[in-house]
Amino acid sequence: MSPLVSIVVLSVIVLTFGALLVALTSLIGPKTEQSKAKQMAYECGLNVPESEVSKVPVKFYLTAILFILFDIEIIFMYPWALVYKDFITEGKGLYIFFSMAVFLVIFVFGLLWEIKSNALEWE
Amino acid sequence: MNQDAFVVTVNLIKMAVIFLLMVQLVPILVWVERRGSAFIQNRFGPNRVGPLGLLQLLADAVKFAFKEEFTPGKGHKAFFYMAPIIALLPGVLAFGSIPLSIPFTLSGDGYSHTFATQVFDLGIGIVFVLGVSSLAAYALLLAGWGSANKFSLFGALRASAQMISYELALGLSLVGILLCFGTFNFSEMIAAQEVPLTFFLFGKEYTFLSFLPAWGIFYQPLGALLFFVSVFAETNRLPFDLPEAEAELVAGYHTEYGGLKMLMFYIGEYGHMMVASALMATFYFGGYTFPGLTVVGVQEFFSGTLQIESANLISIFTMLVFHVVLMTKILIFLWIFVWVRWTLPRFRYDQLMDLGWKTMLPWAIFNTVLTAVFLLLRGV
Amino acid sequence: MISAALFYGFSAFIIIFALAVLFAPNPIVSALSLAATMVGVAGLFFALGSHFIAAVQITVYAGAVMVLFVMVLMLFDLKKEDAVSAMYVRFLKISVAGVILGLISGAITLSGFASNTTIMSVDTASVTPTKKLAVLLFTKYLLAFEVLGILLLVIAIGVVSVSRIKGGTHAKS
Repeated sequence: MSPLVSIVVLSVIVLTFGALLVALTSLIGPKTEQSKAKQMAYECGLNVPESEVSKVPVKFYLTAILFILFDIEIIFMYPWALVYKDFITEGKGLYIFFSMAVFLVIFVFGLLWEIKSNALEWE
Repeated sequence: MNQDAFVVTVNLIKMAVIFLLMVQLVPILVWVERRGSAFIQNRFGPNRVGPLGLLQLLADAVKFAFKEEFTPGKGHKAFFYMAPIIALLPGVLAFGSIPLSIPFTLSGDGYSHTFATQVFDLGIGIVFVLGVSSLAAYALLLAGWGSANKFSLFGALRASAQMISYELALGLSLVGILLCFGTFNFSEMIAAQEVPLTFFLFGKEYTFLSFLPAWGIFYQPLGALLFFVSVFAETNRLPFDLPEAEAELVAGYHTEYGGLKMLMFYIGEYGHMMVASALMATFYFGGYTFPGLTVVGVQEFFSGTLQIESANLISIFTMLVFHVVLMTKILIFLWIFVWVRWTLPRFRYDQLMDLGWKTMLPWAIFNTVLTAVFLLLRGV
Repeated sequence: MISAALFYGFSAFIIIFALAVLFAPNPIVSALSLAATMVGVAGLFFALGSHFIAAVQITVYAGAVMVLFVMVLMLFDLKKEDAVSAMYVRFLKISVAGVILGLISGAITLSGFASNTTIMSVDTASVTPTKKLAVLLFTKYLLAFEVLGILLLVIAIGVVSVSRIKGGTHAKS
């Protein structure tokens, strides 16, 4: 079987298994009356305030966006690692080294700038 | 036609066995975790049900199934149900791409098929595993948001922010070992680690201590350490279990869950640990190989010493021997997961983020540059 | 036969979730459907034999970009959006999508791409298409690669600066 078929079949098996487990609980579990107090969100016994607009620090978004940027840069190092040895055996070792070195310098500069500008500071 | 059906059947059986292997390991791991923590803290732990308390988890699973169904009133029902199902998927898919042993051959009159001992053999192995694991964040976010509970939402938020921060260090720590191997494929990596260890000193290659295999850990000690620390954060285990810090967040993203749905999150979490341990073994500790244990040697042991006639049986038994080797390595790493959990205290959130971005990431870059320079000087 | 089934299966998957992105009243359902669409596109890449691109598609789009979207949406108070789900918002969404779809399909039919029917043969059996991609990236497209590094740096600096604008929780006081 081709790998993609296997991936699809395995995903379907796992999802079916999960759905069966979830269905099982609602089928064989005891049924009692669902009172309002029971369905309330867990809050250590207190009443849940009606409006729950919570302010979230912008830090979380900042971290996520910076993650995307660095993630893309790291993804590019994978093909580089794949062919690095091939280039060296062909005698073009310095070429492939410096092509990534320039990229890495930019990457490290970015990281240092983030650290220096306190963008990664959590208090 | 019959042959195709045969191949498909064997593949399906293989798939089911690997999936069940993973699901079955979870109760055993939970038992190890509870007994291990009891051992470390000088307690007894579960020891009543069955020998050594081994049946405790079976009893727990049955109990889980008979728990009352509960859904939070304000939550989004669809997301609430979907989250545990999705939590199962990344771990299983990633585990399916890791070779668990050598390939085995089934032959008869007029046919002979070789099957890899993984669900799918991908040329891009590790990149696939990283991609699939990054999808795990959805299960947490869906659980957190679907519960309509502050604790759940903040647990999910913290968990996903932490996972993505350490994914960088995780991805970058592997670049060094990939530079050494020059391949993404797990089987090729393991094959590269079978040869004796060689060192490169002053322009010459030396092979000393020739009983040592060329395991990745000897070439990439720093990379291995960084990788191992980041997988602790990826799996949300102590000392990085901020998403579930019970003093602050009750139980994190699964506060509102109970019964089998809770168990499914456990399967997902332990599945991640298994994948991490298997990757650790494959990258840095030679996978299913062990010095002195050769395929021919094991086959001769079965055919010569044990007088087994059938070629199919010999092939399957040989495969199982190598599988046991890998499983032993995986279990050792899983024990380290448990050991660390009951030894180290928890980080503070700012310390956690500082460690990920300002310590691990720069060291991973340093490791990459160091490896590249070494390979360049060595000329291979 | 199997490859055709995979192609149609993944295409149907993509189309269904892409429609869900447009028609779902809840923004979070929209975002999650978009993530599912990305996974479907990765499946198509995989079926074409470019496994590396497929994995990158999942890692970057489904695993990073859409996680950010979902994270951001979950922290807004969406009750208002849910209640209103105004007709005109939906109308706007669908008409914008229609215009873009028209533009793209028009561009494809009018360009030489449609008349040039030679389809690049995808050599799925070749040893490592990923290596070919890597070699091309670091020889022919090296300049683009380095420029991309600078582009990402500019974005990173821009993001931090924007988050500093006064009123934010992290503003420089």
